[in-house]
Formats: sequence, C-alpha cells, structure tokens
Amino acid sequence: MVKGKSLPIGAGILVGIVILLIFGIDNFEVEALSKAPDQTPSYLYRPDVIDFDMLKDIYKKFEKPTAVFLHDQHTDALEKKNKDCTTCHLDKNGSMSLKFMRIKDVSREELTKIYCDNCTKCHAETLAVGEKAGPVKCDDCHRERPEIQSSRVEFGFDKSLHFRHYRAQKNQCDRCHHEYDTKSQKLFYAKGKEGTCRYCHKKETTQDGVEKMTSMRLASHLACIDCHQKTKAKNMDAGPVRCAGCHDAQEQLKIEKVKSVPRIKRGQPDNVLIKTGDKKERTPTMMRVPFSHQAHEEYNDTCRVCHLASLESCATCHSLAGSNKNVENGKEISLETAFHKRGHQSSCTGCHESKQQDKNCAGCHAFMNKTRQQESSACLRCHMVPVPERTGELSTSKAAQMARLMPRLWKETFGPIYTVDVPKTVIIKDLVDQYEPAEYPHGKVFDSMVKKLDNSKLAQYFHYEDTTLCLGCHHNTPVTGKPPRCANCHGKPFNPDYLFRPGIMGSFHQQCIGCHQKMGVEKYLSCTACHKERKKES
Amino acid sequence: MSISRRKFLGWVGAAGLSTTIGKPAAAATNKQFTGYPKSFAILHDITLCVGCRSCEAACNKVNELPKPDKPFTDLSVLETKRRTTTKTFTVVNKYDNPKYPKSPVFYKKQCNHCLEPACASACFVRAFTKTKTGAVTYDSSVCVGCRYCIIACPFEIPTYEYDQVLTPRIRKCTMCYPRVTEGLLPGCVEACPMEALSFGKREDMIKIAQERFRKYPNRYVNYIYGEHEMGGTSWLYISGTPFKELGMREDLGNTPAPQLTAGALSSVPMIVGLWPVLLAGIYAVSKRKEKIAQTEQEQAVASALVTDRSEPSQPEEES
Repeated sequence: MVKGKSLPIGAGILVGIVILLIFGIDNFEVEALSKAPDQTPSYLYRPDVIDFDMLKDIYKKFEKPTAVFLHDQHTDALEKKNKDCTTCHLDKNGSMSLKFMRIKDVSREELTKIYCDNCTKCHAETLAVGEKAGPVKCDDCHRERPEIQSSRVEFGFDKSLHFRHYRAQKNQCDRCHHEYDTKSQKLFYAKGKEGTCRYCHKKETTQDGVEKMTSMRLASHLACIDCHQKTKAKNMDAGPVRCAGCHDAQEQLKIEKVKSVPRIKRGQPDNVLIKTGDKKERTPTMMRVPFSHQAHEEYNDTCRVCHLASLESCATCHSLAGSNKNVENGKEISLETAFHKRGHQSSCTGCHESKQQDKNCAGCHAFMNKTRQQESSACLRCHMVPVPERTGELSTSKAAQMARLMPRLWKETFGPIYTVDVPKTVIIKDLVDQYEPAEYPHGKVFDSMVKKLDNSKLAQYFHYEDTTLCLGCHHNTPVTGKPPRCANCHGKPFNPDYLFRPGIMGSFHQQCIGCHQKMGVEKYLSCTACHKERKKES
Repeated sequence: MSISRRKFLGWVGAAGLSTTIGKPAAAATNKQFTGYPKSFAILHDITLCVGCRSCEAACNKVNELPKPDKPFTDLSVLETKRRTTTKTFTVVNKYDNPKYPKSPVFYKKQCNHCLEPACASACFVRAFTKTKTGAVTYDSSVCVGCRYCIIACPFEIPTYEYDQVLTPRIRKCTMCYPRVTEGLLPGCVEACPMEALSFGKREDMIKIAQERFRKYPNRYVNYIYGEHEMGGTSWLYISGTPFKELGMREDLGNTPAPQLTAGALSSVPMIVGLWPVLLAGIYAVSKRKEKIAQTEQEQAVASALVTDRSEPSQPEEES
C-alpha cells in the first residue's frame, strides 16, 4: 500500500461521484432560455398559381406531391406563338370549357393520362425546336417544396364596378343575373329577383335536387372570362382575362372607380319602419325603427354587407327567438342578435360602433365602456316613440314618410330639451403646486365638437341635442347644464373603496391628453401647453 | 491503499443509494412563496404613460440622488434606450408603436421587487430583504461587494458603485420603503400626472388591471406582466403592445429564481455533511478489514512460526 498515490485517486473519485450526484437529481433543471427562430424560406409570389390537387389522393398513394401550374405564364407563352386558349381549353357549346383538354369530369386514370400526356407532349415539342419549355419529367412538376407560392387575392364586385358593367351592357341585367328553372333545367332571367352571385354560388359546388349550383370560383370564371374574351375578339374594351388582372393586389388598385354611382334599382324602399316582430306574429313589444334604406346604400359597397343571404327583409330568416334547430344558415340567430351584435359589421350596432373609432368620434367614445350594455334610454334613439297627435303633419304622415322626416323634424317640432349655457373658459385650479392654474377654453372645445357633429349624419342622429356632447367629459351626469365638479367624485387617488376611480390629477390628465391623442390634436401634449410653470417664491 | 474493483463498485452503489435518501430533503425546500398577504404593488399601465419623465424627477428627489447632466424636462433623452444606473433608479424608455406610429409607447423600468427575489437568494450575507410592504430592501452595512445579485437578477437592475473606492454599494429602486412605511405614496406614483402608476394592495392592482381589460378589451394585450413572472413581482404591467416589443423578457417562466437552484443547493449540506461520514465509514470499514486480515495473517504467521519453532525436533527425531 502506497499512501502518496491513494489520496489523489480517492479525491478524484469523490469529485466524480459528486458530479454524478448533481446531474442525477432530476429537479435541477434550467431550461434553455433562447430558441433559434425557424427560418422562413424566401419564395417567389405570383397571383396565378394553380394547385393540381384534383388527384391528391392518388398522389399520396404514389407519394408524389401535387403539381403547381402557373397559368399566366402559359397564356403569355401561347400568345407569343399566336396560339389561343383553345390549345388547352376545348370548346363546349360555343363557350370555353374551364377544364384542361376535356369537357366533362373523367375517371382518375384518364385524368392522369390527359395531364401527363398533353403537358409533357407540348413541353417536349417546344424543347425539340430549341425553345424554353416546362418540365418533361414527373418529379420536376411534382415537387415537394415548390419555390413559387400563391399571392392570389380574392376578388369581388363593388358598386362602382357593378355600375360600369350595367352601363356597358346597356342596362340589360339579364346578361349576368339569372335564376334556375328546375322543370326545364334551364337558366332564365327573373326581373326584380336579382341578387348577388354569392347568394347561390357558394364557395363549393352544391347540389339541391336537380339544381346544381357551381362554386363561385367556377361560375365567375365561366361567365366573366368568357364574356371578356368575346368582347375582346370584337376589338372592344373588355375586362381582364389573365389571372393577375383580377387576383393581383396591385392590379386591383388600377381598376377604374366611378365616383358617384347611381342607385341600383331593384324595388327596394327609400325608407322603412323596421318591424320588431317576426312572421309568427308574436306581439312585438319594442317600437318599430325608422330606417333610411337609401342613405345606408351609400355607405356600403355591396348589398351583402347587411343582406348576408338574400335581398329579403331581415325577418325572413331571423325570428324573435331564433331557430332551435342546430343549423348554421343564420336562422338560429335571433332578430335581437342580428340587429345588436357587437363587433359584427352586418348588425346595426356593430357597424355603428365601428364608426366610433373614427378620429372625430374617438375622443369621447374611446373612453366609454365597451362591454357594458347601453343605457336603456339609448334604445329610444332607434326604437322611437310614435309621434304624438299634436304634431299635426308628422303624426298623419305615412309610415315611410315618417321614417324620413322624424330625425330632422324632431328638434324643429319639440325644440331642445334644455338650453344650456356653455361657459367660455374654465379655470382648473384643483391641484396647483408646480404649475399655475390651467385655463381651459371650454367654449372653443365645445364649438369644435359641434362643428364635427355637423359633418356627420350618423353623429347628428345619435347626438340629437347638442347637450349630448357634454356627456363626453361630464360622464355619469344628467344633462342639465349644471354638472357637478370633477373633484366631487375624483378625489384622492387609489381609494380602495373606489378601486377603479382615478384621482383628480389622473382623471384630468387622462381625459384631456387621452382625448387629444385619440383625436390627433398634437399641440397640447406638453405640460406647459396647458399650464404655465409656477415661479418659485424666493 | 490500492482500490479493488469490488471496493469501487461498493462506493458507487453507496453513492447511488445516498441520492435517493437525499431527495425528500430537496423537495422540502421547494415551497412556493406567493408574497406576503396584503403587501403592496404598483401597476404600470403602459397605455397611459405619456413619457413626461415626472417619475424620474420625483425618484431623483426622494432618493436624494445627484442631479443629472440634462434636466428632467429635456425629453430628448428618450431617443436613446437607457438602463438603470447608480444615479438613476428608474428610467422611461420610448418604443415605436406599430399600430399608431404617431403615438409612441413609453415603458418605465426599475426594480420589479420580485416576490421571491433572485438577488436575495444569491446573496450569502443576506443584504437583501423582501419586506412585508412588498419592497426588496438592501443593507449596505453587511454587503461584501461580491455582486452576485447583479448576475442573479433576470431584469438586469442592481448596479454597483464602481466609482466609490472605500464604500461601494449596490444601488436600486427601494419601492420607497421609508415613505411607504410612513404612509406616503412612492415618489414616482405620487408624481405621475396620468395616473399611469397605481399603488395599492397587490390583489387590488390585479383587480384594477382585469377591470381595464374588461372595460376596454381592444386596448390591451390580455396579460398582466409580473403576475406570475419569476414567481410574481410587486410591479405589475399592462400594455397595448406585446411586452416583447418593449424589451421585456417573455422567456422567464413562472418559477421563482430560488426554486431553480434549490434542488442542487439543497444537496450541498448533504454532500458536505454526510459524505465525509460515509467515506470515513467506508474507509474505516476497509481499514478494519485490512487490520483484521493483517492480524489474522500475523497470527497465522506467528502460529506458523511457533509450530516451526516447536516442531523442528520431530523431524530430527524421525530422520
């Protein structure tokens, strides 16, 4: 036994075991705190990418990915060779079949043959002449990660484009609008029944008995491109025939806009009294709502914004209680929800609320509670109490007339509820320490808000008396012209009894600066813009 | 002493066994501390901050810090991203607002006063204390200047007075501990004109934050930063822009810093205390075995010698 050697060996083993021990304890974990981000590959984006995914089940079997086809590239290449669409698309009863080299749907085997044979044949022929052409080998088309990605943007008609087509077609609605006759199995035009294409042509092709409704994509390409091509053939101005013409974001911006579009005439009313009951004629308890249909047409680009499924009245689909059946065609939504759902562009409240985000409105409305139900008195702004008899003309007028007249004539007939003296300046000296009292141009602010109000029809309707504007700052206060002082409620900050109520300094600054920020008034965002610095007494 | 294979395996086995014995001890230290009941917290509503630097000025005044080069009314300092120093316990930084480019976002940075502070757990002289008001205070009289707290802090807050030759201290926000114990508001909170800083009991601050989420759902990211970060902090933040974009770490997890090391550190006393005993025991046992073997050998030799000595006559007789 050699004593000098055993000591370092023993120590070494001890250290080794200690290390083992530490790493053996499983609750000693420090997670990796940083993670390298996944690198996104750089793709080439085009609007004309078509995925050949009709046979994706077969591809899976052979473990081949779907092929990607660039439509505009082929159109351009054929055009250069003075070839037209018939090179790939066959003629079907005088119009072009949208399918490649066939008219009808065929079996999988045939389909594979059509694509592989025709594509590679043309590519090979082109290559043989010594020109550039597409792939001839399977794997060159069926690639795992194609470098080209689709940048296709959805496209749809707006009022301007509708008017341009209406004008070009010389007011012949039947050129596009049609209905389907199930007996003769033919399309026919029904005057006064026109609607937007998407009411019938859904995202996918649907079959209802004998009536087969092609998908919106197929229907629009069939109708639009066919017409555009035929018009072009006559050497006339026509819409786009290439993919990019409609589906490229940049190209869409180039489409001419008509500034003042005349009203689309389809027998819709100018003004209506919206019913609050449904077809089942349960006794409606709420007052009917006068509604200017004509004015709302101007504010929206398509009828579909409000009329989601058809151009019928709201109560056609929505009932007071909503359908109990678990279907998702909108009928399960009650009338109340359809009109009042927040955050939905198709409901009255939802759309009006989105307008409150406007710079001119946000000064007051951004501070208003977004989740609480509105005050019950606010319901009467729309659900108007019928005009009393003593108003003469108003009460005797027809319902439709009333709808048009009411907002405008209310004030003239009844006058403002209160006459309020609006003070010109208010000196705010609740907290004077570092700065002199602030001189608040109360009258100037009020006048500028009234001016903004005069520019908005919507705002005028809902801020019926000018005094409604007072509530923007003097909240939780009746409009009487004698609001309580701010400091009555906003005292010392952080009072646990009124946890959510700001203190006096916080409430002034939050209200003033917050409003200026929201309304884009930049010049009052520094301290000395409102109150002068106080000279220290020496 | 040479080590035989059998001995070595025996030691390793003993070591393995001892880890299983040590485990319950480690688990016992992993108790989560969720803050003193009714301790205070400050809620910073980043959407309300206008970047006026009033809080910085107030902090400077109440902590009697040296005057900065540029006055607090000079807002040009906001153009550069700053961090806390020995002379500034809090800084307001300006960040771009992608949603509304015209109104940038301001975020006030200072010590977050963790419920289970990493600085305190790293400090071996207990210079840091998590007080019942919520503030993490520092006692310079016991500090040895090792600066482990600076390394331990996940928010990079404590700073060291490198320019003080004889009495260097760690400097950081005190959450105005002296003022709060007197019943006053922290300096920054009192000065904030926008009430972007709210002061009160931590649970009330969380309530205020949740009420604001409820009232203005579109204005906020629905998350209270600091409610759970590193086991929770006494400074809470709500914001309209993702916290990541304000340079606030979102990768910290909810485990308090002391807990991350508790497992490993809890085995230190066990190793320090038990291992010498264990090894000494093994050594003693092997020594004793050797000793017994040696005595046995000696006895055998001795007896052999005895027989050697007593018996030689016999062969002689025989031969």
